[in-house]
Amino acid sequence: MSRFKYVLPVAVFFLCYSVTAQDYKFGKVSKEELLEKVYAQDSAAAAAVLYRKRNIRYNYVQGSGFQVITEVHERVKIYTKEGFRYATVSERLYKNNRANETIAGLKAFTYTMENGDVEKQKMGKSAIFSTSLNKYRNEEKFTLPNLKEGSVIEYEYRIVSPFAYNIDEIVLQYDIPIKKQEISIATPEYFMFKPNMKGYLGMQPKYTTNSGKINFSSKTRSTVGQVSQTTFKQNEIDYTTNVTSYNMDNVPALKEEPFVNDIDNYRSAVKYELQYVQFPQSIREGYTTSWEKVIEKIYDNSSFGTQLKIHNYYKDDLELIKAKTSSKVELVAAIFSHVQRRMTWNSIYGYFVDKGVKEAYKEKSGNIADINLMLTSMLQQAGLEAYPVLVSTRSHGIPLFPTREGFNYVIASVQLDGNTILLDATNKFSEPNLLPTRALNWYGKLIKKDGTFTTLNLIPEKPSRNSFNMSVSLNEDGSLEGKMRKTYGDYNAYLHRNKYSSINEDEYLEKLENKNDGMEISDYTVKNKNALGKPISESYAFSMENQASTIGDKIYFSPLFHLAMEKNPFKLEKRNYPIDFTYPWQERNVILISLPEGYETTSLPEGVNLVMADGMGGFRYQISLKGKILQVLVDFKINRAIISPEYYQDLKEFFKKAIEKQTEKVVLSKISSDGTSQSAAGGR
Amino acid sequence: MRKLLLLSSLFVCLVTTAQKNKYQALLLDKHLTNNANAVVRLDEMKINVSASNKMTYTVRQIITVLKKEGDRFAVKRVGYDKEHKIKAINLYIYNQLGGEVDHIKKKDFKDVSAVDGFSLYTDNRLLYHRYTPTSYPYTIDFEYSVESSDTGFFPPWNFLSGYKASVEKSHYSIAYANEVLKPEIKEFNLDRIEITKSDVPGKITYEAENIEAIKSESLGPAFREIVPRLKVRLKKFNLKGEEANVSDWKEMGVWMNNALLKGQDVLEPATIAKVKGLVAGVKDPLEKAKIIYKYVQDNTRYVSVQVGIGGWKPISAIDVDRVKYGDCKGLSNYTYALLKAVDVHSYYTVIHAGATKVDFDEDFAALQGNHAILAIPYNDQYYWIDCTSQVHPFGFVGDFTDDRNALVVKPEGGEIIHTVAYVNEQNHQLTKVNYALEATGGISGNVRVVTRGIQYDDHFALEKDVNDDVIKHYKSYWSNINNLKIDKYNFKNDRDKVVFTEEVGLSASNYASISGNRILFIINAFNNNNFVPNRYRNRKLPFKIARGYLDEDEFVVQLPDGYKIEAIPKAMEVASEFGSYKVSFEVNEAENSILYKRNLLVKKGLYPKEKYAAYRDFRKTVARADDLQVVLVKK
Repeated sequence: MSRFKYVLPVAVFFLCYSVTAQDYKFGKVSKEELLEKVYAQDSAAAAAVLYRKRNIRYNYVQGSGFQVITEVHERVKIYTKEGFRYATVSERLYKNNRANETIAGLKAFTYTMENGDVEKQKMGKSAIFSTSLNKYRNEEKFTLPNLKEGSVIEYEYRIVSPFAYNIDEIVLQYDIPIKKQEISIATPEYFMFKPNMKGYLGMQPKYTTNSGKINFSSKTRSTVGQVSQTTFKQNEIDYTTNVTSYNMDNVPALKEEPFVNDIDNYRSAVKYELQYVQFPQSIREGYTTSWEKVIEKIYDNSSFGTQLKIHNYYKDDLELIKAKTSSKVELVAAIFSHVQRRMTWNSIYGYFVDKGVKEAYKEKSGNIADINLMLTSMLQQAGLEAYPVLVSTRSHGIPLFPTREGFNYVIASVQLDGNTILLDATNKFSEPNLLPTRALNWYGKLIKKDGTFTTLNLIPEKPSRNSFNMSVSLNEDGSLEGKMRKTYGDYNAYLHRNKYSSINEDEYLEKLENKNDGMEISDYTVKNKNALGKPISESYAFSMENQASTIGDKIYFSPLFHLAMEKNPFKLEKRNYPIDFTYPWQERNVILISLPEGYETTSLPEGVNLVMADGMGGFRYQISLKGKILQVLVDFKINRAIISPEYYQDLKEFFKKAIEKQTEKVVLSKISSDGTSQSAAGGR
Repeated sequence: MRKLLLLSSLFVCLVTTAQKNKYQALLLDKHLTNNANAVVRLDEMKINVSASNKMTYTVRQIITVLKKEGDRFAVKRVGYDKEHKIKAINLYIYNQLGGEVDHIKKKDFKDVSAVDGFSLYTDNRLLYHRYTPTSYPYTIDFEYSVESSDTGFFPPWNFLSGYKASVEKSHYSIAYANEVLKPEIKEFNLDRIEITKSDVPGKITYEAENIEAIKSESLGPAFREIVPRLKVRLKKFNLKGEEANVSDWKEMGVWMNNALLKGQDVLEPATIAKVKGLVAGVKDPLEKAKIIYKYVQDNTRYVSVQVGIGGWKPISAIDVDRVKYGDCKGLSNYTYALLKAVDVHSYYTVIHAGATKVDFDEDFAALQGNHAILAIPYNDQYYWIDCTSQVHPFGFVGDFTDDRNALVVKPEGGEIIHTVAYVNEQNHQLTKVNYALEATGGISGNVRVVTRGIQYDDHFALEKDVNDDVIKHYKSYWSNINNLKIDKYNFKNDRDKVVFTEEVGLSASNYASISGNRILFIINAFNNNNFVPNRYRNRKLPFKIARGYLDEDEFVVQLPDGYKIEAIPKAMEVASEFGSYKVSFEVNEAENSILYKRNLLVKKGLYPKEKYAAYRDFRKTVARADDLQVVLVKK
């Protein structure tokens, strides 16, 4: 308690200071703001938002109902020429057949210092551009005039939306820093929204209430004798408005980092999800309140649950499949493979069907739901315990809160001997329990027939393994020839098949050769190239030049040759977001090197066994000499698909050591003419 | 009447059965499927020019896509705007056996803005459709017709649609209403294929059959340089409502001046007074031009807006002056007007910009180009400035508009002039390093990189980068050094001489590998060039080195105490027609250091495919020599 007392006066002091220093009223750009040379908290910023206001409120229009009005006001400081692009602003506006969003009240000014004076220039009409992007989107863009390094721009406008049931996601973090932002969302009591927050910023919304009024006039016409008279009557309805405000200072810029599947997943934002609508004297129209409700709502939709109940269209095909299989496992595999072969995904996402399962089956193509709901239905119809599973793909973010928009994808599942098998037939190379990588995002929701659900982990735990066996002889001139056998398991096979399935062998070999330093390949064979469920196994003979350096009477080489990982992918000092490997992996190399005649080993790297903190990764390196053959075994693995940023330093160091070891050299020396040398004794 | 109808429907039937064969994909000629992702069964364009401001073109393409990689040939888009109206558009999809799978009508096409990725706004739009194939091969039959009042950009003809697509039959014909409207045609690379040509009054036709696919190869020339193609122009044409009658570049220049530029250079008196003030006391026109260019760079920015004739006509100088932004045309014209206000001559210049050099044809005056710059004549030479760049030094255009023919618009007429070239030794980089190797394998030292010419262009943007990006740049520039740490850096940009100097202090742990008593390290840590072009089992295309360069390196390596040199590579020198390479290692016993010197020259040129293997050998030699190691052993 005493600590708080100590801190409080300081905080109050700061607050006062910042209030007196800045005026955020539209048009009150200060000289100080114009003279500022660099953003204090982030000197790398090319521009910064000095002030941002976004007020979202409801407005009642007689005859058409509620509108959502979003009032926008932003003041942006441009520090360098790289920041000029922030002087072009665009808003995407939604439309459909009946209505569309519009922009109103746009005002924009550029402020510049000219010889010690503040110069203000208004943006003209010709700098505003409206484009119809497609059937559902318009775009409104404008760009500010007379920009210079140091300029401050300021603009305000309103977005008027007739779609009262929807409030767009409110982004709270930009690619440039925001000094101060004030966001408020005021919704009438008839619309009950729930805010869902995401991102790494702490947010403390404040809740208050206001009262509002709906005014509407009614007209009565009465005729008394010869005189007609119209009376206008003003009616009023009072209602309560719920206001949430987010006031945030010094919001840092969101910056890209490698091994992040989509930086937008980490952008702080808040999404208002409609839960129910209840007008006076009407019944409550429920939307979402919990996972239960969300899922029930999805399930009950004719584009979802109903689709599972249509089965006539595949009846004959299913009978044929059933006749050919003798066990449940075989049946699952056969149905999956039938749908996978028959159907092609049209690149459209969604857990609701696009064409409908029947039409899709006929046309042999469909969206995600068309294909996977059809698959679920067939499995159910074959007497298996199969359910759909709602998913949010990697590029769609993580559904932390119960929302309908939180999902964008659906897969199938089947219960077999107490295990849940996940199935996705929208890729030609996926397998039972091997989903396309796009679906590997956190948790899925499995929906039972009665609409209840369970939560499933989608991230694979089994490492996908590559196993390379190389047997080579090293020549005195540094050239190498030998044989290679490579097997690619699970996701490695999946990715390999997706990448190379449609190119011919010659082209593939050309790529393989050029990827490996101009290696020359012969006697290439491949097994299980398209045999799903089995690892791909390829073998070939090869030769390579210049794989060892001969200096004086010594030969130096790294015993992994071209298989060594040479560069650390983790170069940056710091990391804010999780490292996403998509799936756990393991790489195992076994190498046999027959040494050139007349040489013996002078020094060998030492074996190591590295284990990363909490068993997240491992690296084992063993090397030994058996007669004239050098045997090397390297086992490198990452056991987790996603590693949290606290482990970044460990991970970086782990990779550093593993790479150093892989590039370490073996030294061979020429055996002197009398056939002996000091170090040779031990080898005999 | 009834009879006639019957006859014509019979005819239609016949045509359809004959055409049906095109839709099946079972029997395709091996020559056509070889190296191909798609086979264009029919590629046809029929143009009808009825007036200088009216033409229609009808296109039909039947394409069999053999595999996934060929899908791009089945993505169909047609652009339209105020002048180009799509009259009809139809797309049919057929399966392998020739059975119809789908029919996409005009209303089924997606109607979108032709977002080009750099414009703030464009009034061009597109109809497009992307088909999701369910199996391969499949065939599409695509037909559309466009009516246009623009004849200035006459549809050209490529006998191949892209890499890895062969063509079974190609047909291009132009019907014209009268001799005045007879197009002129220039042929390119037609020697590779067999052409049937006919030129009768009122109609010109080109046909070719069975053209094999070509594959792209690294360092190969641009597709347009190898594809058999036609370029076509009308003498009397219309561009967005502007009539022209032009027989050569001189007349084209006159027309542009009158139709597009005239009157656009007016400025407010206040602006004229302001710029006159800027150059007060300066006599030399070139010095004045430098001051004006700097003013434009400091006060304007590039914003692209393409509306109507605005695709060709600059917005007026007054407008640019007011908002301080514009596109390449607007900013060039604005700078032209400012220069004029201070009595400096300059010429508006139309050019084809991009890292790949594309020339204007000296003998074929057809509208072309995608960019505008200014040419300033001074002492029998031209200085070129790009007014869309806020960072390039005066007179330096980098690899965006260098070394190519451009149209310089002079009041007395247009003239084709070659822009400044940056070649071989002019693209120079000098790297001087002092670095110390520690017994633990780490290195630390100071690096100075001095660049000129195109290498300047590649480096000088660093000056504007924020710290994080500079660090990232060096970590990738020296990606051969693991664990690199940048301790400090400093840049000097000499815009007058066009020389960029970087001074970098750095260190890296575990650079050298240690085995027992020995330390091994690659001595060329700071300009290690391991580029070796891909090997081809059967190289088909010539190869091109677009600009050439010279790198010179001088590193002094301080060795750790307590170690002596056990092995050091020998000096070597290679010379070939593609360039030369020289490297030497001098030991300074007293200082316990090594002086490493390196010199790599790569020469601009277009070389025949037979020499590809020799060039690859040259690069292999360089790559190998750049990896040469020094071995130290404990004393």
